[in-house]
This record gives sequence, structure tokens and C-alpha cells, in this order.
Amino acid sequence: MSSLSDPVAPLLAIGDEAPDFTLPDGTGPEGARLRDLRGEPVVIAFHGDGGDERHEASVRACDEIAAELPQRQHVRLLSLSLETHGAIARRYGVAGDWAVFVVDEQGRISRRHLAADAAPGSFAWGCSRREFIAAAVGAAVALTLARAAARAEPLARIVAAPEDTGSLMHVTLDVDGKTVALELDPRVTLLDALRDYAGITGPKKGCDHGQCGACTVHVDGRRVLSCLTFAAMQQGKRITTVEGLATGDTLHPVQRAFIEHDGFQCGYCTSGQLMSAVAMLDEPWGPTDDDVREAMSGNICRCGAYPGIVAAIQQVRATRSAGR
Amino acid sequence: MRPFELGVATTIDDAVRAGTGSRTRYVAGGTTLIDLMKLDVETPERVIDINPLARHDPSLAAVAELPDGGLRLGALGRMSDVAWDARVKERYPLVSQSLLLAASGQLRNMATIGGNVLQRTRCPYFRDTATPCNKREPGTGCSALHGVNRSHAILGTSEHCIATHPSDLAVALAALDATVRVRGPGGARAIAFGDFHLLPGTHPERETVLRSGELITAIDLPALSWARRSLYLKVRDRASYAFALASAAVALDLAGGTVRAARIALGGVATKPWRAVAAERALAGKPATRESFRAAADAALHGAVPHEQNAFKVELAKRTLVRALEEVSA
Repeated sequence: MSSLSDPVAPLLAIGDEAPDFTLPDGTGPEGARLRDLRGEPVVIAFHGDGGDERHEASVRACDEIAAELPQRQHVRLLSLSLETHGAIARRYGVAGDWAVFVVDEQGRISRRHLAADAAPGSFAWGCSRREFIAAAVGAAVALTLARAAARAEPLARIVAAPEDTGSLMHVTLDVDGKTVALELDPRVTLLDALRDYAGITGPKKGCDHGQCGACTVHVDGRRVLSCLTFAAMQQGKRITTVEGLATGDTLHPVQRAFIEHDGFQCGYCTSGQLMSAVAMLDEPWGPTDDDVREAMSGNICRCGAYPGIVAAIQQVRATRSAGR
Repeated sequence: MRPFELGVATTIDDAVRAGTGSRTRYVAGGTTLIDLMKLDVETPERVIDINPLARHDPSLAAVAELPDGGLRLGALGRMSDVAWDARVKERYPLVSQSLLLAASGQLRNMATIGGNVLQRTRCPYFRDTATPCNKREPGTGCSALHGVNRSHAILGTSEHCIATHPSDLAVALAALDATVRVRGPGGARAIAFGDFHLLPGTHPERETVLRSGELITAIDLPALSWARRSLYLKVRDRASYAFALASAAVALDLAGGTVRAARIALGGVATKPWRAVAAERALAGKPATRESFRAAADAALHGAVPHEQNAFKVELAKRTLVRALEEVSA
């Protein structure tokens, strides 16, 4: 194959123009080129072929990721095999290992994610689902930031006007120790900002009216319902989601106790249950099971895993008081 | 949700300037307003975030001593903070209990004292824009009068509205004769709690005496030494996290076995936080016995107007009040 002798170009950097190429069959309109996609962010994933099975797994993973991306972001995913499309990969400076590039609407590289950056425990094609989503979401974030105009900070100012799509709010959130910069309509709740704009899907949407507790997160260490507050009101606060509970691979004691005591069945309410449970440990509740039930009454579980949840919380409380 | 402008106020003066106008709403905890905005029941054109006020003036979110021995609850104080404040628990148990028996742990961390007394009714027709409701859309009629009205009011109703006031805290504040402190375009003023909420009458859309732009800054609890002997009892369909079917806030001044004075207010059964002055009078000077309490309860519910599905509330409210008085005098 002549392509094997093609030189590998220098690795593309942020801001570089993305080399144009004809979209492989099945990834776009027939005969279309990458430049035809300008105006929307494009995520290009180069993945390895470890045999047919691995290739299929990578395609499935890609499809799955595409399905999870927030619709409103209109991110196009191009999944390219390093073997079949090695020539394209080499023009992007990618030789042997997988890589993900995010091309902005002007056709420039706005993000890149390389195998060398990846944590262990990744998909067959080398990049964890979450990393991929983060990169894709990052693309949309970068785009909106580019559009955001600097604004002054007057008192009691009107920071966004309706019917004016050019004046979305620039919202910066501190989530699980990371800074997330978003451009949002004032109507976007904290829950929607986390899930649909920042790709942090740990907090769940149950009722969306403050009645079920599935969306519970911590703000400055206190449990709140992320569906009943606007994201723009939570700037400068420390937001913790269920994704920030564990320390690396070490689960929070409450997470471990939930597993030990079967504190869930379908799991949909679990992230909210966990966030409430962790917060209530620092609230002045009494010691009995009934106190736990009262403290946790804002988190509904339709599977009825309540006995396990109470047992898990009581075990952590017993361990804590024994340690004091 | 309809589009709106979101503004941020850092001082009360800024808030009041920005907050004047019928289509403007202040947002603090957001737990009522944002819920109702999602339902298109509230459709403000402008929303002013007043939470930053407390960063510039921490007293707005604090519990503070008053010179006369009362307590001032800053309007931006969160329900949970006030509920667990040691002074509130010791001197005004009914206030602490009314807060802890309301909503959920998460909601109590969000919702404020000022917002709590302004929360809107849970009447399902008020919350459903597909049905007529005089409170939401004046002149369209009351769907609850001949509809599903099990949760509705039996006291203070009119032929235009029978919606129940949902707040627990407000019932305790009514019993205590609290004072609402507000700031507005016309300056500061103080409103007796009993005058703060309005009966529905012919204008159920008017719920309080607040004027355009006025902002609650604090609620003062008056010095009342015997409020240490007080209780908030709440009866609901499930043991926790539900609105009251009936509730009673009571405080007793007992000497020996005799009631020198009583404070009584009812919740879950009335269109506004319901001070039961007739019941208080009925108890004054009487022995603290079940018979006296039952007579007071009869007085409290005198004139109740039940509807098809909520007649049970008459007896339920009486028994709730009797039990509250028994427990607090025990």
C-alpha cells in the first residue's frame, strides 16, 4: 500500500486548520468533504482495528456516544479506522494510536484528545465513553465561548434579553472541582446545564419539579435540587455531583454501603439518593431509622429499595461515630 | 418556559429599582417560582436574583436578637438554617417544627423565609393552565368549587376561590403575631402578619398586601416567653414530605392546670394562614383539659364551609387542634 510510505505530518495543534478530506462512505453525504461541514462542530475519532470484533465494538461505542450527545449541540461524529483511513490519520499527525479531534465551525482544531492522555479502563478503541463525550461537549463549549462577548459587571444589570439569541449568558460553573464554561439561555436549570450542556449525566431528571430528588447535587456542601434553580444563579458556588463523590477508583463509603446493602434496584434514583445520604451525614438528625427515613423523604425510589438505603446509611453512621 | 430577562441585584436599593413592575419577579430559593414558570403559571418578563444581597449584607440571611427579646429572621435565611438555629428551637419550637415538617431536606436548603410566606397554592387547577382558575386568570371561574376539592380550604373561602394556603411556617408566624418587614420604592414598612395575607374574596389573584417592587427583608418574632411551650402538629396523607391536610400551631401560657392565654393558628384548611382568635378566647381562663380543648376546636372551626370532598377536614382539623393542645400542655 502506497499510503504506508506517506510521511506522518506533525501532530495538529489547537487552532490549526483541519486538513480537508473526502468523508468516507457512510459518515456524511456522498462525495462530501470535511469543509462542507463547516458551520457545525465535527468530532473526528481515529480508532485502532484490533480485528473485526474490536472494530465493531468501536463503531458500536461511537453510535452509543452519538446517541448520548445533547441534541441541541448538533455535533457530527466521524469515526475513522486507523488502518482503512491511515492516510487521513497521518495528515492529522496520528500514526499508530487512537486520537480524537474536535473541529470547530470555522474548520479549525479546537480540541484534541490522544491515547497518551487517556486513563486506563477505556473502550476497545482506546478512549472511554466519558472522555469522548467530554471532548465532544468541549467542542460546543469552545464554540459558544468564542461567540461570547465580554460584558461589564454593573449592579442590577440585565444580563440577558429574551428574543435575542446573540446575548446568551456566559455562565461559569465549578463542578466536581473542574471549571465548566457555558453559554446558556437564562431558562436553563442547573440540572439541564449539567446534563445537556456539560455532559455530566450523573444527576438524573425524574419529575423536573422538585418532587422526586433524582436531581440532587451539593452546592457548597449542601444538598439541593438542581432542577429548581437556574444555572446562572449558581456561579461562584462549589457544585458536587455523584461523579465527584469517589476519590479516583475509591468509592465514597456511602457508595460502598449502598452496594453492600442493595440500596438500589433499577438505579435511576440512586445518584440522588447518594447525594442526599452523604449530605445528611453532616446534618443534625437523630440516630434512629425513622430519623433516616425523615431525612431521606425527599428522595423517591419507585423500586422500593428503602430498607437497603436505610441500612446502608445507618452502617456508615455507625462506622463514623465509632471512629470519633 | 417563556423567555425572560435575568437580572442580578447586589443591594436592596438595586433590587427594588429593578423589581418594580407587574411582570417582574424576585427569585431567591426558586423552589416555587421556577416550578411554576415551568408550568407557564408564572410568566415573568424579568426575574431578579436577590441571593447576592446576602453577600453584601449578611444580616439578610441571619437570625438575630431583637432588643425586646424577640428574634429577627432575615428573609434570605434558608428554611433549614432557621429550623436548626438553637435560639429558634429553644424559644420558638413551633417555628422550628413547622419548618422541619415542611418540604424535604433539599428544598429546605434552598427555600428562604421570605419566599416561604409568599409560596403559591398547590390547588391542581391553579397549576394547570388548561383549566379555569380565578387566581391564575381572574374572571375565568373556579374549577375546584365543583371539581376535585379534597385538599381545599373550608375556612376563608369565597365563591371565587377555595385554594388552600400551603405554607406551614406561615401558620406558626400567624400564631406568634410576627411582623413582616419590607422595603420598596416608597421606603421601609412593617406589616402585622395577620394583615399580610389577603382573603380571596372577589380578587383571589391578590394574595398579599405587598406593593409593586416591595421586597421582604425580615420577619420579626416578638418576645413571647411562653412560646417555649409551643408546638406545630401536621397531619398529611403520608408521614413525610407532603402538604398538610390539617395542621395546628399552638402556644400555651399555663399556670397550674389553667390556661392563662393561648395562641392558635390552623393550616391546611384555610385560604390564608388562619389565626383562630375565637379558639384562643374560648381557652383563656379555662382548665387545660380535653373538654376545654374540644370547645376551643369547635370555636376554631365555627363557620367552616366544606365542599363535596373536603368535609372530613372539619373534624380532622378539630382533632388535630385538640391533640396539639394536649401534647403541648402535657
